[in-house]
Amino acid sequence: MGEKEKKPKEKKSRIPLKVSRRDFLKGMGTTAVAATLTAGALPLPEAEATLPAGVKEALIQLTVNGQVHRVKVKSHWTLLEVLRRELGLTGAKRFCDRGSCGACTVIMEDKAIYACSRLAIEADGKKITTIEGLSDGEKLHPIQEAFVEHDGLQCGFCTSGQILSVKAFLDKNPRPSRAEMKEALSGNICRCSAYPKILESAMAASQKG
Amino acid sequence: MDKEFKIIGTRQPKLDASERVSGRAKYASDICLPGMLYGKFLTSPYAHAKVTNIDIEKAKAVPGVKAILTHKDMPPYRWHQDMPILTDVARFEGDDIVVVVAVDEDRAQEALDLIKVDYEPLPFVLDAEKAMGPDAPKVHPQGNIIGGKPKLSTRGDIEKGFKEADLIVENKYWTPLLQHVTAEPRVCVAQWRNRKLTVWDSTQHTFEVQEGLAKALEIPMSKVRVICEFMGGGFGDKAYAERYSVLASLVSRKTGRPVKIELSREENFLAATHRYPTIINLKYGVKRDGTLTAIDARIIADLGAYFHFDGVSVSMETIKTVYRCPNIRVEGYNMYTNKPEGGAMRCVGHPMPQFAQEAHMDLIADKLGMDPVDFRIKNYARLEDGDQDRKFPFSSNGMEECIRKGAEAIGWKHRWQKPGSTPGPIKKGLGMAVHTCRHGAMRSPSSGMVKINPDGTVNVLTGTADLGGGQRGTMAMIAAEELGIPLEQVYVTAADTEVTTDTGGTTGSRQTMTGGTGTRLAAADAKRQLLELAAQELKTDKGNLEIREGVIYPLGASKGISFEEALKKAPAAIIGRGIGKLPQGKIIHSFAAHFVEVEVDIRTGTVKVIKLFAAHDVGRAINPVSVENQIQGGATQGIAFGLRENQITDRNTGACVNPDLVNYKLLTIKDVPEILPILVETNDPYGPFGAKGMAEPPYSVPAPAIASAIYNAIGVRFNQLPITNRSVLDGLKGLKA
Repeated sequence: MGEKEKKPKEKKSRIPLKVSRRDFLKGMGTTAVAATLTAGALPLPEAEATLPAGVKEALIQLTVNGQVHRVKVKSHWTLLEVLRRELGLTGAKRFCDRGSCGACTVIMEDKAIYACSRLAIEADGKKITTIEGLSDGEKLHPIQEAFVEHDGLQCGFCTSGQILSVKAFLDKNPRPSRAEMKEALSGNICRCSAYPKILESAMAASQKG
Repeated sequence: MDKEFKIIGTRQPKLDASERVSGRAKYASDICLPGMLYGKFLTSPYAHAKVTNIDIEKAKAVPGVKAILTHKDMPPYRWHQDMPILTDVARFEGDDIVVVVAVDEDRAQEALDLIKVDYEPLPFVLDAEKAMGPDAPKVHPQGNIIGGKPKLSTRGDIEKGFKEADLIVENKYWTPLLQHVTAEPRVCVAQWRNRKLTVWDSTQHTFEVQEGLAKALEIPMSKVRVICEFMGGGFGDKAYAERYSVLASLVSRKTGRPVKIELSREENFLAATHRYPTIINLKYGVKRDGTLTAIDARIIADLGAYFHFDGVSVSMETIKTVYRCPNIRVEGYNMYTNKPEGGAMRCVGHPMPQFAQEAHMDLIADKLGMDPVDFRIKNYARLEDGDQDRKFPFSSNGMEECIRKGAEAIGWKHRWQKPGSTPGPIKKGLGMAVHTCRHGAMRSPSSGMVKINPDGTVNVLTGTADLGGGQRGTMAMIAAEELGIPLEQVYVTAADTEVTTDTGGTTGSRQTMTGGTGTRLAAADAKRQLLELAAQELKTDKGNLEIREGVIYPLGASKGISFEEALKKAPAAIIGRGIGKLPQGKIIHSFAAHFVEVEVDIRTGTVKVIKLFAAHDVGRAINPVSVENQIQGGATQGIAFGLRENQITDRNTGACVNPDLVNYKLLTIKDVPEILPILVETNDPYGPFGAKGMAEPPYSVPAPAIASAIYNAIGVRFNQLPITNRSVLDGLKGLKA
């Protein structure tokens, strides 16, 4: 959100011990709540003191959109989680989170992959392109322009993935047939089903390049 | 006709397309605030069970856990009508039992795994017909028929109607449980700060969420701000304040930190709302010449565990409105079962009775030996018919033009043959169906605000949530047309309760009407104020002025002044207001006819849709690209309703067996046929520049049209959706037997 908030002073943010009726819900079991709500905001990250059993940490290096990042990750974190949460690159989306929709598609070493289905540690040392790396500031990439011009989207939640799948495919096959393009995009679900216009956009992009 | 307008009717990209294609658009699920906490649910594995004990001791010890809430911590009120916010009686698999809020998702999950809940499983009921029986397990103490008795609606005298009939046709139809599967799951970020709640919610109606959260927290609406700048799909699932938003807000107030609750995909399948299954009995009387004389219908809406809204009454409208029939009796049941919640999904109550009624009409036409197109033209409700109970005519009606244009496009007259005429294993068939519903009509509230800045640029402030239908662009085009300015001069702010006004939800295909009319009237109000100022500046009468390309001219003159010049002496920026009114004595409806060509492989049972012509009365297409996109998208979802989607409940356990995208089958780009929109423009007298809403009807028509085409291909009728390979093969076996 880009919204900056001053870190609250510990004293201020602590939950008041005396819970006034106004401050809490009528009818809420106040004793239960007092027992179950632990104290308020401590300096972050506060949960790192101990790691759950079986979880390990690693320092990895990712080159994302040309920029080198060294990130401390937990062994079970996916590449998608790290891109979205640790690097703030939220263009790749979490739709199914199980490698079956393509909304999290990014390009890793010239190949379109599902970021939700790669552990971050697997991506150590790799070169990654996300949707944020496709445009040059305000100036859109020709594939993005084609999607704008041909209305190849509705809600836009799957669009980053669609565009990166097109990009990875056109890089290898700049003049595909419609059938080949459909095949290349068959791993990207669009629930709004803007498919006819996605195909139109992708084909227009192939003719632009 | 198009010459009338400068901007209306032109093909425009989405106003916010650059943000959406570049990853810059921030959806609620992308929002991450400093110090933000994450909430996760523990849900019931049982379809029906009493919670006897919840042990949270171990979970509390997990570092970083900030709150663990159960039914004991909840306020006494019920959400919607009958839903506890956290429950001690699970009424479906996925009912919310505990919420854990922690500093990150890992910690929340770790704590959830340590919570031990003891359940006492209870008998459950999954079949809405069985749920009516006196011995059926009760989902709620008040019994399974919601409201205690069925709804009944009658017109004329059905006994007389059936006596007049030469042929009476009866059949029964079933439609399945579906989920919206919005790409962005249900998600909310709530931030309590300075005694005020700000919420970023993936919602179709920020004002509804504002009102709901104000009630839940017992604070004034003025202290609740709900924002939805971008959202990843709604389709009806995100039209209200729901449990997760309430809980995020409660915990944020308690902890003083922002709280995000985002449902997992599986939770979204189980605990979001659904297109409820229906069971529909139809008995229609018809004369030899094809005139309908009587309709007797019974609709059972299986609304699942909680009562979100009166679905069956919406479904009953379809039976009463699409065709002209003087004698009708429709009975409707809203039923509780131990299945996931029913709710609104694209075109709400209509697609299910639409499938049943259109399949039934196809069957009757066949029995009469009539062409299905002629049979529809004979019986469709005319302009003057409208609401046949209250005798209110339609405001506009493009049904016949939709039917005729669609039939012509597919070559119906020369290509439609008797069923099963194709030789070889791949059988070709043509089919059609029609649609009428109230979606796209004017509703209340309808409002808008238009601000003209000192430099002459314009801000449109609209409550309309843009779900991806291009609603922002529609509002900009309407304002620009009304003000006579280039589109680039307009900026739209949408769906922020603090700076915009309520236009109702982006539901019921209404925003072109409600948001559009409000915006148009607001633009007209702003223009009136602007011209008053310009008249002083130009020393003329304001009636003697016109605006062309953003310049104000005395009529016919070649020299004029800019908005900026006109505003020089303005005491303040101009604020135009608009309030739309409901039409009196008329009803606004949308109309459609789909024509489809299929191939059925009788060796595998595979149904392939080859081509679909979708003719829609849209009143007027404000932005034809958006309209086409909506038709193509809606029709694709409608094809999936016909052939693919089905959320399956295990009848032995009540558990969902396919809560994921591998086993719940959505269409991919490879499955989509050529979908050719045909826009019929009837210039509705009540819509902004003649437009009507149109986004939901495309969903309703493909399924029955495909069923009709399959019958035409192989001579087998299907009365249950989805029509799968298995059902086709079984149907063919029945034909042989």
